[in-house]
Amino acid sequence: MGMKLLLEKAHVEGIRHFEAYRREGGYRSVEKALKEMSPEAIVEEVKKSGLRGRGGAGFPAGMKWSFIAKPEGVPRHLVCNADESEPGTFKDRYLMEFLPHLLLEGLIVSSYALGSHATYIYIRGEYAWIATILETAIAEAKANGMLGNNILGSGFDCEIYVHRGAGAYICGEETALIESLEGKRGNPRIKPPFPAIQGVWMRPTVVNNVETLAAVVPIINMGGEEYAKIGVGKSTGTKLISACGNINKPGVYEIDMTISVEEFIYSDEYCGGIANGKRLKACIPGGSSVPILPANLLLKTAKGETRYMNYESLSDGGFASGSMMGSGGFIVLDEDQCIVKNTYTLARFYRHESCGQCSPCREGTGWMEKILWRLENGEGKETDIDLLWDIQRRIEGNTICPLGDAAAWPVAAAIRHFRDEFEWHVREPQEAKRRNYGLAHYADPIHVPVAG
Amino acid sequence: MVKFSENDLAKVQEIVAHYPDGKQKSALLPVLHLAQDTFGGWLSSETMDYVASLLQIEPIEVYEVATFYSMYHLKPVGKYVFEVCQTGPCMLRGCDDIIQYITQTLGIRAGETTADGLFTLKTVECLGACGYAPMMQLGKYYREHLTKEKVDAIIAECRKTAAELN
Repeated sequence: MGMKLLLEKAHVEGIRHFEAYRREGGYRSVEKALKEMSPEAIVEEVKKSGLRGRGGAGFPAGMKWSFIAKPEGVPRHLVCNADESEPGTFKDRYLMEFLPHLLLEGLIVSSYALGSHATYIYIRGEYAWIATILETAIAEAKANGMLGNNILGSGFDCEIYVHRGAGAYICGEETALIESLEGKRGNPRIKPPFPAIQGVWMRPTVVNNVETLAAVVPIINMGGEEYAKIGVGKSTGTKLISACGNINKPGVYEIDMTISVEEFIYSDEYCGGIANGKRLKACIPGGSSVPILPANLLLKTAKGETRYMNYESLSDGGFASGSMMGSGGFIVLDEDQCIVKNTYTLARFYRHESCGQCSPCREGTGWMEKILWRLENGEGKETDIDLLWDIQRRIEGNTICPLGDAAAWPVAAAIRHFRDEFEWHVREPQEAKRRNYGLAHYADPIHVPVAG
Repeated sequence: MVKFSENDLAKVQEIVAHYPDGKQKSALLPVLHLAQDTFGGWLSSETMDYVASLLQIEPIEVYEVATFYSMYHLKPVGKYVFEVCQTGPCMLRGCDDIIQYITQTLGIRAGETTADGLFTLKTVECLGACGYAPMMQLGKYYREHLTKEKVDAIIAECRKTAAELN
């Protein structure tokens, strides 16, 4: 069994409520932090832990905290990003649904570290019942002196509020989230100024993912140095992976980042292998926006080394032959799945979610969707493939926020690794339409090419 | 006329109190949710204007938000809205069959409402339930691991509830 720092108690009866959570050792980090540590010392521990943002970008959390401005007389805010919307990602939902107090505990400690007296959980609107679970947990924490004025006699005051979004992927981008929290459309802001200087209501703001903030609890309990010993290299601690697609055991798994991709897919402890006795064709290992990899490049790097479930190994080979850890949304495709169709649904997703501010994204995502629809439905032309490639290149890097990149990468990777399947759709439109799945040979064990 | 009850007005005040003084516009998304739930499941111009007056902002500030977010309905919808996810991971687990089955069973396409006003079918993008696909949102909750049998059961359950309410 892998090490569990976050989900260990997820199945304890009643853990959703304060009493059971406290009995199981919950809120110890709040006691330790507020009674024994200064805010600066907490930031230092988080830095030492090597914790990287768990939302997708992987930016060091301690460093992000250290950027927060502290102008005299201006309130600061911590905002928890619970706008989980990246296709393939459903880990934060699990954590909030089953361990709401773990998130609150992390939020209280982090609020103390950052000096936030009003902290917000921005949760995607569709998770309506989870918002209720969190509100109940907040009321319980408050009734037990963990929130409100003078928490545990420390003199620190803090309130946590749940703010529901209303259906917009873009609000997972931190400046769009801030706009949305201000009651506006979720249009990302141009940076600088960064939220750490001017965030919500133009006040210094830190936005962190749910899992990142929950990880602060074990970091404070065990100390940053101990936490950093778990995992490998710059992938410290544990990571929640939400696994889905054509596997036997979809679900949320906590892993320490030393296991191989092969073990994660095939062992009974995790995904339990490919469903229905099929073979693995491809995988999107970190949420829909990261590059898709064919089976051979997924299990081994282009150099022929075993690929592991961590930040460095998953990105080994760059975009030419690697992918990314991203949000930990692990999407598995079996041999019957059509890459063109899968890419089409993702392109449709990004077109739907583009906020419309930047022309390359607003127009480009629509064009890509149309062309992919054409290819999928047997109306594609040979030149469409190069046209798609050209469009995605013109989106990437040319937009205010990373949604443009997120829309471009899946299309680029699909063409890069599965070009013959796109060509087959053009050459054999009727066959492609009838079978409704692509070429299965990617599931065969093939020789792994060396990059370069 | 569109007007919140005293109870709902107190809820609005409580929501507004979550944000700093003078930043009551921040309450817009939550108050629109409350308004949609209260006034027939969608946001009419009248409802949006009312919300604007409550939050002391311009009506345009409400319209531009209501039209941006996919959860706000700007046209009347059925009593039960089936919001079926169609993004990649759900597609891999057969959501197309589920959507087709609902279309056949209810005789409506995506975006349409049954003549009796009971059901609306919507196809939506990723709802964060990829491991429990195929799925749909129905009101506040998710219905997951959908099969044709489960869809039948959900439709029957809705009809029964509606009949009991009448």
